[in-house]
Amino acid sequence: MKTRVRLAVLGTTIALLAGACSGSGGGQANPTGSGAVKKGGILRIGTINYIDSLNPYNYIESNGLLAQMMVYPQLVQYKHGTNGFEIEGDWAKSWQTSADGLDWTFHLIPGAKWSDGQPMTADDAAWTINTTLKFQNGPTAVAAAPVAHVKSADAPDESTLVIHYSSPVGNVLAQLEQLIILPQHVWEKIGGADGKGFKTYHPEQNLPIVVGGAYSLKSYEKKGTTVFIPNPDYYGPPSNAEAVAFTYYTNSDSMIADLQHGQLDWVDQVPFNAVDVLKKDPNIVVDNVPGSETTNITWNSNPRKLQNRELLDPQVKKALSMCVDRNRIIEVVMNGNADLVESLVGHISPLENPNLGPLQYNCAEGNQMLDDLGYKKGSDGIRVAPATTGKYAQPAHPMQYEIITPTSTDFNIDREFEIVRDGFAAAGVKVTQKVGGDSTASYALETDDNCDAATSTGYSKFDIAMWDWAGYIDPDFMLSVVTKGQWCSWSDTGWDNPAYDKLYAQQGSTVDQEKRKQIVYRMQQIIYDNFLYTQLVNEDFIDAHTKQWTGMDANLNDYSKKYWTTPHMTG
Amino acid sequence: MRANYILKRILFAFVTVLVAITLNFVLFRAVPGDAVSALRCRQCTVHFKEVQRKELGLDEPLIVQYRLYITHLLHGDMGSSLRTEQPVMDELWAPIANTMPMIALGTVFSIIFGTIVGVVSAWRRDTFVDKAGLYTALGFYSMPTQWLGLLMVLFVAGALGLPTSGISNPTLGILTEPSTWAVVVDRLKHMVLPALTLGLVLYGDYALITRSAMLETLGEDYVLTARAKGLKNLQIVRKHGFRNALLPIVTLIALSLGFIIGGAITIEYVFSYPGIGLATVEAIDQRDWPVLQAIFLLLTLSVIFFNLIADLLYVKLDPRVVEA
Repeated sequence: MKTRVRLAVLGTTIALLAGACSGSGGGQANPTGSGAVKKGGILRIGTINYIDSLNPYNYIESNGLLAQMMVYPQLVQYKHGTNGFEIEGDWAKSWQTSADGLDWTFHLIPGAKWSDGQPMTADDAAWTINTTLKFQNGPTAVAAAPVAHVKSADAPDESTLVIHYSSPVGNVLAQLEQLIILPQHVWEKIGGADGKGFKTYHPEQNLPIVVGGAYSLKSYEKKGTTVFIPNPDYYGPPSNAEAVAFTYYTNSDSMIADLQHGQLDWVDQVPFNAVDVLKKDPNIVVDNVPGSETTNITWNSNPRKLQNRELLDPQVKKALSMCVDRNRIIEVVMNGNADLVESLVGHISPLENPNLGPLQYNCAEGNQMLDDLGYKKGSDGIRVAPATTGKYAQPAHPMQYEIITPTSTDFNIDREFEIVRDGFAAAGVKVTQKVGGDSTASYALETDDNCDAATSTGYSKFDIAMWDWAGYIDPDFMLSVVTKGQWCSWSDTGWDNPAYDKLYAQQGSTVDQEKRKQIVYRMQQIIYDNFLYTQLVNEDFIDAHTKQWTGMDANLNDYSKKYWTTPHMTG
Repeated sequence: MRANYILKRILFAFVTVLVAITLNFVLFRAVPGDAVSALRCRQCTVHFKEVQRKELGLDEPLIVQYRLYITHLLHGDMGSSLRTEQPVMDELWAPIANTMPMIALGTVFSIIFGTIVGVVSAWRRDTFVDKAGLYTALGFYSMPTQWLGLLMVLFVAGALGLPTSGISNPTLGILTEPSTWAVVVDRLKHMVLPALTLGLVLYGDYALITRSAMLETLGEDYVLTARAKGLKNLQIVRKHGFRNALLPIVTLIALSLGFIIGGAITIEYVFSYPGIGLATVEAIDQRDWPVLQAIFLLLTLSVIFFNLIADLLYVKLDPRVVEA
């Protein structure tokens, strides 16, 4: 993902990270709605990402997870307020952890029911966790991440769940935020002895499904409209809308046209080129919030790369980056809907290190740095990298490189490339664009066909790429993408630094949130200083809705049931 | 002689299918990445990917995968989707069922409208009618399909109140049970713009081919003879002109019908129409080889079948092809 796609954002929160070892749930007032709440109406949402499955053991798309969050209980979820993102209870109303951080006890809202009338108890939660663990090397592997390091779970009584960890985990609540809890009495019958049934079962094809969340499923069309209706037995604040019709579009122009023609009420991801048009529409409200996606120049940082090794030097990368006008990217490519960003984890994370850089746009200084480093300009104005000796000796050669760009970004990467190209040209370095195809094909160009982490094979050919990342509230995932453990999987830099990997493991097991924060800050500083990426911009997340509806909070996209339950009709 | 010709055509079609089956396997695997490397999600951990690669058999040598593919195919089994792990044909029936009426509607529109315009243009050569027909045909024929589709979305949909995406009204039947009639009308409404877009692009093709073929036949000596004999214009066009111009038109119709099952990728993409074209795009994006193999096999079979029909029709339309 190199975004690869918009993803469900996961992670912990700043309040949580401030060291709370206990917490509590609680309702949150409608964040943006004002005035009386008018109940009813069908909330018609347009989206460019479809719901692939309601099965938490067999889904890939982020809207698959969103739909599961809407129909199934979770222990915790996110809220967003003046303090940014914070964990709040969903089904769990409070929780505490043991002094060693190995046992987490959750107190669940009592008296909750599944939609078929069966009681919803802690046994369901314990069964879900234990079953996921049991088959995590097979059918339930896709759901294994939220229960990483969990030893077992048990239910001392109907409304108490205890989760036992084998080792301390630094972001327990952030991990559990993506745990979808299933009705044991339904799902235990379908798994079979080997658990394969868990993966092949498609609840959306067997309506009505037994739900416990805010909505139940009325109809499902994978590439069309899926309709959700409120679950009357939901334990939380009920949906204001009478139904939610969630429609998939392959073409965002059609989606925007439908919004303007009154055939949609809400669009959850507005493309940059449509923002100005919608802002001029008197019937449409456009909301900008800081998004999770950051764009970057990705530098091949594999210490064993064979050619153009001058690009391993952070000073060279910094000098070139100083010639890139990032503000121009914001204006030209994102139509002003973005901010400068320095850290890989992006603005979405409360643990973004505020002390990085900022990288200055100062091409004269960049040129001076390259001169000082010995990269003199040739007669054609292109700098020359001098010959080197040793294990990775390379002859003198002009500094001209290819930049791989994927075709799957949600912004105009060709224009972004042109701005970077112009900047590099001003530094005496020539770059040409190599269109890498879709995400998979582009990533294959970065890693090589024979990529193998065990033998440190791969990342030998490419020099530079331009891409984006979708970050998370908790920085764990973003910090992992430059570890050796992510080679040939998520790593797009080929960096291999055991000291950094050690820090990554350390932050993952540090329960003291202040200590973890310091480690996380340090890791971001290391990434920044080594110029694994030149961070370009942090995109805004933009949604738009008609004035017939209000109460939307774009911040909650993918994070909370309230994202759908709070919108209501105006007047 | 005729039986020999038919047998040859059938044999040729059979060999083409065999070649296509192997090409289907080889070509897709030449694309970088596989179904596991195409997984792009937060939960797609290294651990999950390892499990998936093993479970889907992607860790097996290609020759083993090929053997399995052929074995399954011989048993009529096209395999299971690597993404959903459902049988491929279960995955494809709905998209095919969505696509075929829409493509058929557009194709029939283009055949009727394009043929009429082509015939009239040829008969009224160099008149205003001819130029109007010729230029509109050229215009639509040259337009990128997706661009024409976007024009439909931006300018036609709003004016006519037609839906721009999907195959059904999102709100139909949510709060009340819709009548069958309402469902049918709703489906047809959603079909209009994509079918019209396809129809207009193909219309250009038909009009130009028909006009060209008609001009050729109308310049033949037998048409002059017919005129000299005092036959009516309509009779000359219908019996002597159009009949003899049928060969290229039949070829084009066969080609169009062959592609009905393949859908229209760009049109389905513009109109978010959940047909086989969109399924193809998705399968490519996800490197879902079994789904792609099945789609292309069906498409190949369809094209070969309709070409075979065209070949057989030639015998009826122009017996000289047998002798040639």
